[in-house]
Amino acid sequence: MLWYKSWLETRWRFAVGLAILILSATGTVLAYPRVVRLLPLVPSIDASGEVGRRILEIAALSRTYRGYVWAQWLRQNMTQMLALFAALLGTGGLLSQASGGGALFTLSLPASRDRLLGVRAATGLAELLALAFLPSLVLPLLSPAVGETFSLVDVLAYGTCAFFAAAVLFSMASLLSTVFSDVWRPALIVCALAACVGIAEPFLGDYSRYGLFGLMDGEMYFRGTGLPWLGLLASAAGSAAMLFAASRNLARQDF
Amino acid sequence: MSDRFVIETSDLRKQYDGVEALRGLTVQVPAGSIYGFLGRNGAGKTTTIKVLLGMAHPTSGSARVFGTPADVPAASVDIRRRVGFVSDEKDLFDYMTVDEMIRFTAAFFPRWRADLEQRYRQSFELPADRKVKVLSRGTRTKLALLLALCRGAELLILDEPTSGLDPAMTEEVLQALVAHVASEEMTVFFSSHQISEVDQIADQVAIIDRGRAVVTGALDDLRESYRRIRFVFEHDAPEATFRAAGAGRVRRKGRVLTVLASHGADGIVEEAGALNPVSVEIAPVTLKEIFLETVTGED
Amino acid sequence: MLLRPNPSSGVPIYLQLMEQVKHSIETGALRPGEQLPGIRPLAEELVINPNTVAKAYRELEHEGVIELRHGAGAFVSANARAKKATDKLRAGQALVTASVDRLRARGVTDEEIRRLFEAALALTKTGVHGE
Repeated sequence: MLWYKSWLETRWRFAVGLAILILSATGTVLAYPRVVRLLPLVPSIDASGEVGRRILEIAALSRTYRGYVWAQWLRQNMTQMLALFAALLGTGGLLSQASGGGALFTLSLPASRDRLLGVRAATGLAELLALAFLPSLVLPLLSPAVGETFSLVDVLAYGTCAFFAAAVLFSMASLLSTVFSDVWRPALIVCALAACVGIAEPFLGDYSRYGLFGLMDGEMYFRGTGLPWLGLLASAAGSAAMLFAASRNLARQDF
Repeated sequence: MSDRFVIETSDLRKQYDGVEALRGLTVQVPAGSIYGFLGRNGAGKTTTIKVLLGMAHPTSGSARVFGTPADVPAASVDIRRRVGFVSDEKDLFDYMTVDEMIRFTAAFFPRWRADLEQRYRQSFELPADRKVKVLSRGTRTKLALLLALCRGAELLILDEPTSGLDPAMTEEVLQALVAHVASEEMTVFFSSHQISEVDQIADQVAIIDRGRAVVTGALDDLRESYRRIRFVFEHDAPEATFRAAGAGRVRRKGRVLTVLASHGADGIVEEAGALNPVSVEIAPVTLKEIFLETVTGED
Repeated sequence: MLLRPNPSSGVPIYLQLMEQVKHSIETGALRPGEQLPGIRPLAEELVINPNTVAKAYRELEHEGVIELRHGAGAFVSANARAKKATDKLRAGQALVTASVDRLRARGVTDEEIRRLFEAALALTKTGVHGE
């Protein structure tokens, strides 16, 4: 029943996230014909500054459908929203329920704190997994409508990278939830951190593929060097460590 | 098998951020009793309960439930399998309906009593499909009580079970408790600052003041040994301190000296003989008076 | 049947119950051989601790006022000991009247007499275990 409770607590966040991401993926695919038409206009744009450089880069990538999907959907829309929802799903644990959320009732049940945290984390991660994969399924399903194809294997590869990277943010939010007693601060802090990282990463140039968002959008895979095994491992280890720290915090907590 | 004390604390201390909530609390709750835990707000009642249920970690001292230590996480889970709890806020899950709360809770207790569930659903008039969020305080309390009573627990720990309830509902709750204790093998440990309800149903009592138990014992024993003794003198009452056992606070007013004795009234009367009182009166003391007399807590 | 005891009076509830039972026997509301309410139903009805009811019944049995028949319940004693309690009261009443008369003869006021009796009662155990 703890699973059911966790589901009840997070289902709206999950549903909204799923809806937004699916809509965004759909929009990205369906916008492709228009983008193709606009491409010839790009060289006439003033290419000064970082923004200009970016536009040129996206234009260059969009010459291929695969490049377009990566630049527009994966690197841009999906990662930003997935990061946001990772933070939203990870926040709001037992500590925030201490006044008005039934925390004492939960703690009076014959369930260990580890189990309480574990079930909550597992539910959140399962939802995150769905958010990382399901919207991207739109791509192979809908691409034929614009005369293109997108491979399922790519979806699996990108989904894996996205999930592991987003899980780091989820775990961070979970850890912060054992420190702060409200639901907002963990989410805000994680979003702020993610934003800083997201803004800074492009300046790494070629090394951006080793950053958190570089992992999340599967840059390494896109550029043809295979799955980023080291990145996946490092993020898994980081997530595990943060969740473990969260469980130790929770064990020590006085309610 | 189990100790004869269902709950036992020994010099229990709990500090929160430099504030000492418990300062060496020692109580023993016999199996099968209805144990009233009286104290002013902030005296440490809720903190004690939290320690017993593993919600808070003691700073020092020991707390045992069913003979096992309450601050060992694995043991605490086992303790909670056998305990029914109602918090003072009656905090449940706002977003669940009455039905969902019952099904949720029942899933944790293999010994869930479906027969009692039916009975209390009816007698408490609980609306099955209403969300907890919209329930009145009284109805929430009754739901919380149902969730505690139907677990097949051996011990009920209730934090101010009737606070915020009107007299009719209070009586309903007390009646449900008494009926439950009468028919099941059960111990009830409840905290309260309503002296009348402790008077009515408790057979064991502890008064806690500023983190310590200042009075403990069987309620009937307290009623039979506490006495208020009044000495009247011909002229102004003398300054007197009594060395006899059981002598408590001495009050002087004009020609009258009043002593509250926790026991040994005869010894005190004897000692006072030397002061030549004109008259001696001995009267029984109510629990309320014992409480007010022994509780000096500020803030 | 039995009145609600007063929990806040400072007098133990079980004693109040005992008094009520004895009084009921005196006035004839309870007859010898008649069954008393069960411990559980009585506790529920009066909303008091079942242990308290049990204690009252045990003490009444000890005094011979009632009998506890295993499995069947509590019954008013059929034998003369119940009657003996009434005789005891009558003899007691004679003693008290005599003392009051003597004290009045000495010029002690009624108020003072009342307080003297209260003091004497409070000092000793209130006659729980027989005479």
